Amino acid sequence: MSGQGRLSRSAAELRSWLRGLAQRRRVEQEMEAELQFHLEAVTADLIRAGHSPQESARHARIALGTALTHKEGMRASMGLRWVDEIVSDLRYAARMLRKSPGFTAIAAVSLALAIGANTAIFSLAKVLLYDRLQVPRADELKLLRWTGDDKVVAHSMWGDFDNTPTGQTSSVFPFPVFHEMSLHPAGMQSLAGFKEDGMNATVRGTARRVAVAEVTGNYYETLEVRPQIGRAIQPSDDAAPGAGNVVVISDALWSREFGRSSTALGQTITLNQAKLTIVGVNPPRFTGAKNVLQSPDLFVPISLEPLLSLHRDNGSDLSNPDFWWVNVVGRLKPGVSQGEAQQGLRVQLEATVRSFCTVKEGETIPLLQLVEGSRGLRWGDRLFRKPMYVLLAMTGLVLLLACANIANLLLARGAQRQREMSVRMALGAGRARVARQLLTESLLLAVLGGCGGLLLGYVCRNALPTLLTNSWENFSIQVSFDWSVFACTSVIILSTGVLFGLAPAWFAARTEVSSSLKESSQTTTRRRRGTSGKALVGLQVALSTLLVVGAGLFVRTLTALSSQDVGFNTEHLVLFDVDPPNARYPAGKDVALHEELERRIAALPGVQYATPSGTAYIASSMSNSDFLPEGEKLDKSKRTAEDFNTVGNNFFSTLQIKIVAGRGFGPQDTATSPKVAVINAALAKKRFPGVNPIGRMFRADRDKPDLTRIVGICADTFYYTLREGPPAQFFLPYVQQKEVHGMTYQLRTSLSTAALAPMLRNTVQGIDRDLPVTDLRTQKEQIDATLQIERALAALTSGFGVLALALACVGIYGIMAYSVAQRMNEIGIRLALGAQPAQVRRMVLRESTWLTLTGIGVGVCGALACTRLVKSMLYGVGPNDPLTIVGGMVVLITVALAATWIPARRAAGVQPMKALRHE
Amino acid sequence: MVAKPDDKQAELLQGTLDLLILKAVSLGPLHGYGVLLRIQQISGEELVIQQGSLYPALYRLEHQGAIASEWGDSENNRRAKYYRLTTAGRKRLEAETEKWNRMAGIIAGILRTTPESL
Repeated sequence: MSGQGRLSRSAAELRSWLRGLAQRRRVEQEMEAELQFHLEAVTADLIRAGHSPQESARHARIALGTALTHKEGMRASMGLRWVDEIVSDLRYAARMLRKSPGFTAIAAVSLALAIGANTAIFSLAKVLLYDRLQVPRADELKLLRWTGDDKVVAHSMWGDFDNTPTGQTSSVFPFPVFHEMSLHPAGMQSLAGFKEDGMNATVRGTARRVAVAEVTGNYYETLEVRPQIGRAIQPSDDAAPGAGNVVVISDALWSREFGRSSTALGQTITLNQAKLTIVGVNPPRFTGAKNVLQSPDLFVPISLEPLLSLHRDNGSDLSNPDFWWVNVVGRLKPGVSQGEAQQGLRVQLEATVRSFCTVKEGETIPLLQLVEGSRGLRWGDRLFRKPMYVLLAMTGLVLLLACANIANLLLARGAQRQREMSVRMALGAGRARVARQLLTESLLLAVLGGCGGLLLGYVCRNALPTLLTNSWENFSIQVSFDWSVFACTSVIILSTGVLFGLAPAWFAARTEVSSSLKESSQTTTRRRRGTSGKALVGLQVALSTLLVVGAGLFVRTLTALSSQDVGFNTEHLVLFDVDPPNARYPAGKDVALHEELERRIAALPGVQYATPSGTAYIASSMSNSDFLPEGEKLDKSKRTAEDFNTVGNNFFSTLQIKIVAGRGFGPQDTATSPKVAVINAALAKKRFPGVNPIGRMFRADRDKPDLTRIVGICADTFYYTLREGPPAQFFLPYVQQKEVHGMTYQLRTSLSTAALAPMLRNTVQGIDRDLPVTDLRTQKEQIDATLQIERALAALTSGFGVLALALACVGIYGIMAYSVAQRMNEIGIRLALGAQPAQVRRMVLRESTWLTLTGIGVGVCGALACTRLVKSMLYGVGPNDPLTIVGGMVVLITVALAATWIPARRAAGVQPMKALRHE
Repeated sequence: MVAKPDDKQAELLQGTLDLLILKAVSLGPLHGYGVLLRIQQISGEELVIQQGSLYPALYRLEHQGAIASEWGDSENNRRAKYYRLTTAGRKRLEAETEKWNRMAGIIAGILRTTPESL
């Protein structure tokens, strides 16, 4: 046949097949009518030939043969038969699943939980740990960093900073140094500078705190990002300080504030008192070069820096060569290796620093490093990597557990149905046909579980990020549903289902049909299934032990942290921030503003005490400063800095911190009165051992001669984290400071934050309508926020632990129920020969206890090996905490006994006669 | 009965039946029983066709687009399904007729062979 003929024949077949599917009922009617006509025609001919009508009809039917068989043949001719078979397989599978709803529910739910949990956790991990910046060819992006020893020239810094064994490392540079290097960067296409910061903005009449990226004119060119409407920030905006009063806004701000209307272009935003015109809107998934999780709200030319913040003493940050603050990103030139570029830039940095910066005798130049920039500064990695690895490992275990569970359930079921399989084969079903039937059942089950998993994964995807964010900051992690993750998880679980669903068919195929139809065969098949089933259940118990012990450790860590006595009363304490822009409130004016605010806020109804302070407590931030007691020699090699806080006069009464000696601050401490300080007991013990510190003088700045008198000692409190006990601290009244900038207000009040919000906003904006009240939260919420990762870990691992227990419970119940059912005969004989029901019960319980203990033994060994890896994440509990491990074992043994109880009772309640007749 | 594909003899028969149906229908539209009668008539009642295998063969040919069907009135005013040859069917009939004739010629030639002609 010619190629064309074959093609037209295939087309005709497809057309006819589709017609057959779509008009199935009509096709069937036509078949019926056609055969009917045939019979009538033959009958009529026979009558004409002289036969009797009855005889004719009979002969016609005999000649035609069985109409049913012909119809089957006709359907097969139309290619409809395999469709019919699949439909009937599905119908049969659905009926089988409906017949044992318990089995179906357990199998589908455990599949759904495993698929859902894995999809959600892996999607989250992908966003938190692996997603790249949404820019073209993100892998070409490189960030500049430097490492230096302890004598490095960089002293004054604003940005990320890490201590290394030999010195320090950071990713910020002085602007003049960056600028000089960016003119002819070695090995790089270009270098762009950026800095992200929080500022106060008035957008459409509302004052708020926004995240701002100050960027150089070539930033957009370097990242190769084009705004979705309007234009980007251009080199001309950045040409001279204050050249372009323009701003590009994020997609999120655009939808939130402007409803995605193009009229946003040309409107004005007031940012730290500077009026800026909106010229563009960033593409939706662009997050800037710093991080991949969230975009700053506004992007402005870095040349606006002098206008936005005037707070440094020595002029603009743009011209100060000794202030390190700008992040630098660039793209490698094609064909240049990272090592070559790094070498070139290293030489360039050294030369530039020598010619621009003040390098004192003995100071060293930092070594430049070129690092991966496709995920920005990767601050999220540091925060989330370990917890995410733990969660990934745990979901992996849950996945394994679910697979074991499915395998076990299907094997048990397959063994139960071995007789059915044998009957089918004895009646002539092919092995392939039986296998297909089993496969259809497994797949149907898998599809049920998969749909559940899809739903669960979708819900969790929305719920998980809220575990990692807090209520008052509008920071949100966008986790998009990851189909590839879902597909991957599903394939793993489905193949388990298919594999173990087919195993019984394979066994059945190997078994001689006749032998399995004889009752005695049960003993032979039981042994085979018994060992593999028990191994699976043992594995389940071991995995559950691991998960339960892990969950126990994280829960105990969370409990230990949150039951910590922080040293002050956290009840009824409300916090909020006021951050006056330096341009409007230079040194001195800011102190006056806070004095006025403190007075007005303290006078609000329902507010018992109010105090501003430089740093909020248990908020992961701290300040420190020199602490040099008078008469003590300055030892340059020794760390003389201590933690401190600038506070209001009511600070100690607001937080209810006890003054143990001397006095606290009071109205007598003013800007003009002698300078005073309060130290805590830890500092007194550390720096004044055996001496009464009250009345002693100290300097808080080695370069200034001003002396401060210690007037009191207060009780110890925690400071920046719950993980480290109370540090040594001292307190200074903010009214005696030259400048304080933004402060956190602490209020002792019985009112809720919701009730306070409008009052506070009115009070603050009664003084300055462009000044926002930000981050209104209670002290308890603040503490909770620092425990977010611990809480998320404890919640998720406990969830996994419970899931694991449930799965193990099902596994143990399944295997014991099966074992009892198989041994019914034997148990009947035992009882008939005089065994007591209690003895039978004990026998069954003993069998499951051995199984459980073996599993627990393996699990504990695994736990001992694994928990060491999470040691750094624990608090108040060791990785081999005996209480947690023993507790986990007790829980598992209890669950195992509970799961065995029903089969054991059933065994003990067997009627000997009935059991013997059971055969 | 539908022949099993691995049964060589049956397959041959099946192929022949298809060819015969195509030929019968090429002489004018026929219903199923009519096809049966016509083949028997042309063959001079030599060939008896299993009535049961006729309909699956008709459906298969229609499925493949070699014949098309239409409901019409029979000679005694009953609704019957009439089959006719399509263009594709005509081409196929020609091709298969030629193939058949060639095959028959070759086989006849082989069967005519005597020891002398070698």
